Amino acid sequence: MTLAPRAFLTGLAVLAAALALYPIVGTGYGVRAMLQLFMWIALAGSWNLISGLTGYVSFGHVAFFGAGAYAGAILIAKAGWPWLPAALAGGAAACVLALVIGYPCLRLKGPYFAIAMLGLNEVLRALTSYFEGLTGGGSGLSLPTLHATVPIYYAMALAAAGVTLLTYLIITSRFGLRLMTIREDEVAAEAMGIDTARHKLYAFLLSAAGPGVVGALAARDQGYIEPISVFPLATTITMIVMALFGGKGTVWGPVLGAIVLFVSQEIVWARFPYVHQLLFGAIIAAVVLLMPRGVLGLLQTKYRLPRTL
Amino acid sequence: MNVAVTPTMVGQVVISGILAGALYAMVALGLALIFGVMRVINIAHGPLLMLGAYTTYFLYAGLGLNPYLSVPVSMAVLFVIGALLQRTLVFRVVDAPELSSLLLTFGISIALVNLAQLAFTSDLRAVEYLTGSWGLGPFAFSKTRVLAFVFAAGVTTLAFLLLQRTRLGRAIRATSQSREVAMVCGVNVGRIHTITFGLASALAAAGGALIAVVVAVQPEMGQVWTFKSFLVIVLGGAGNYPGALLGGVLLGLVEQIASLFLTSQLSEVVAYVLLVVVLLVRPTGLLGGRQT
Repeated sequence: MTLAPRAFLTGLAVLAAALALYPIVGTGYGVRAMLQLFMWIALAGSWNLISGLTGYVSFGHVAFFGAGAYAGAILIAKAGWPWLPAALAGGAAACVLALVIGYPCLRLKGPYFAIAMLGLNEVLRALTSYFEGLTGGGSGLSLPTLHATVPIYYAMALAAAGVTLLTYLIITSRFGLRLMTIREDEVAAEAMGIDTARHKLYAFLLSAAGPGVVGALAARDQGYIEPISVFPLATTITMIVMALFGGKGTVWGPVLGAIVLFVSQEIVWARFPYVHQLLFGAIIAAVVLLMPRGVLGLLQTKYRLPRTL
Repeated sequence: MNVAVTPTMVGQVVISGILAGALYAMVALGLALIFGVMRVINIAHGPLLMLGAYTTYFLYAGLGLNPYLSVPVSMAVLFVIGALLQRTLVFRVVDAPELSSLLLTFGISIALVNLAQLAFTSDLRAVEYLTGSWGLGPFAFSKTRVLAFVFAAGVTTLAFLLLQRTRLGRAIRATSQSREVAMVCGVNVGRIHTITFGLASALAAAGGALIAVVVAVQPEMGQVWTFKSFLVIVLGGAGNYPGALLGGVLLGLVEQIASLFLTSQLSEVVAYVLLVVVLLVRPTGLLGGRQT
C-alpha cells in the first residue's frame, strides 16, 4: 500500500466531523446541495453493488427510488408514521420489489435482467397512476408540512456512508469475490460451486435497499411526490454515469463520480439543460470505449493503488 | 372496462391483435438479427424506429410524399445510419463483455433521443394522411392499421427471403451460427455485422414509418419499442428468427385481449407481466432459443 491506511482513516474521520458540523455554519442552499450530493452518492453506490460487482446492468434502478418514495410517503401521509421508520420501510419495500423482479430474471444469464429493468420503471409509473386511492394518481401525494432539512441531511449522509461502507465490506469479503467471479466468468463461477443465481439475487437486494431508503427520504424532504417526479429515466441515467465515470466495481469510484458530476452539473451544465442527456450519453459511450474502469480504475492501474480503494 | 364480452368483440380483438402483432414481429426481427449475429442487445433499437418515423414525417410535411411510399426511403436512410453506428461505435464492443455493449447502446439511445429533441423539438407531430375504417361484416378495421399490417407482412417476407434465399442471407445466418466457422469459410464477418446492423435499423425504420400515420411522432416514442421488441424475442426464443414472428403476433393478441378487461393505462403492465411469467416458466422461449 502506497497510501498509509492510518492517514486515510484519519482523513475520513476529519471529513466526517466537518460534514457533521456543516449544517451549523452552512447556508440553506449549501445544506440542500450537500443533501442532494449524499443522495447521489447513495444511488450511484447502490447501482455499483449490482452492476459494478456482478456485471448485470440495471437500467431501471430509479424504480427502487420511486418505490421507496411511494412506500414512505404513503406511510407518512396515510398512516401517520414518523419519517425515520418510514424511510426504513421504503428500503424494505424496494427490497421486496427487487425480490419479485430479480428472482425470475437473475436465474438466467444474458441481457434478460437488463431489459426487465428497462421496462420496470414505466410499469411502476403506470401502476402508481392507476391506483389513485392509495397513491393520489397523477395528481400526486402531499405530505404534512415538516421542516426537517437538517435531520434529513444527517439521514442522507448516513445512507451515503452506509452504502459506501457496505460496498467496502462486500469487496473485501469472500461474498464480494464470488460476485466479481460471476462478473468475470459466470460459467467458471458455477463450475467452482458458486450458487450464481442466489449470489446475484443477494447483491440485487442489497442494491435496492439504498435507493428505497433514499427515495423515502427525498419524498419527505420535498413534501410532495407524483409519478413523473419519482420515476424519471434521467435519475437512472445519472447514477449510471456517476458510477461508470468514477469507476464501477470500486468502493470510492461512485463517490468520486457523484462528486465530480454533481458539482459540474450544479456549476456548468445547469446552463445547458437541453444538451444534458446528450452529454451523459456521450460520457457513457466514451467511458465504455476509452476507460472502461473509470477514473479510479485508471488511477489504480497507473499508481498501483489498492484494489479495496 | 367492459361488462359483457360478445363474440363479435372477441373476433374484433383477435383480428386487431394480429394486425398489431405483424408490426411487432417486423420490428423485433431487427433486434433479433443484431442479437443473433453479434450477441448485442441494441438498446437504441427503439430510438432508431423514432428516427424512421421522423423521416416519414418530414418527407410528408416537406415534400408531400405519400407516407406509404416513404417506407422504403425511411428504410434506406436508417440503413445508412445503422451501418454508420456499427462502423464507428458498436463494432468496438462486439467481443467485449455484455455490460459494455448494453451500456454503449444505452448511451447511444439517450444521445439519439436528445439529438431528436434538439433538432425536431418535443412537439407532437402527426401525419394526417388516412383516417376512417373499413367494415367487414360486424368488424371494423382502421385503414391505417390494415395498411400497416400489409406493409409489415410484406417487409418481413422480403427480409426472410433475403435471409433464406440469397448468398448474403446465408452469410448472415452462418455468422449467427458460428462466427469462427463463417470466417474460415471466407465470410467477411465485419462486413456482415455492418450490413446486419443496417438491415435491423431499416426494419425498425419501417415500423416507425408505418406507425407515424397512426400515433403522434415525438422524440420519446421509441423507447417502449426496445422493450416490446425484446419481449417478442423472449417469447419466441432468443436467436430464433421465425420465433420472432410468433412472439410478435402473440404480444399483439395478449395486449388486445387485455384491453378488453383493463384500461389502456395498464397495457404496458400486461406486457411486463407477460415477460416475467415467460422468464419464470419457459426462459428459452416458446419455440426454443439458443443459450447465451
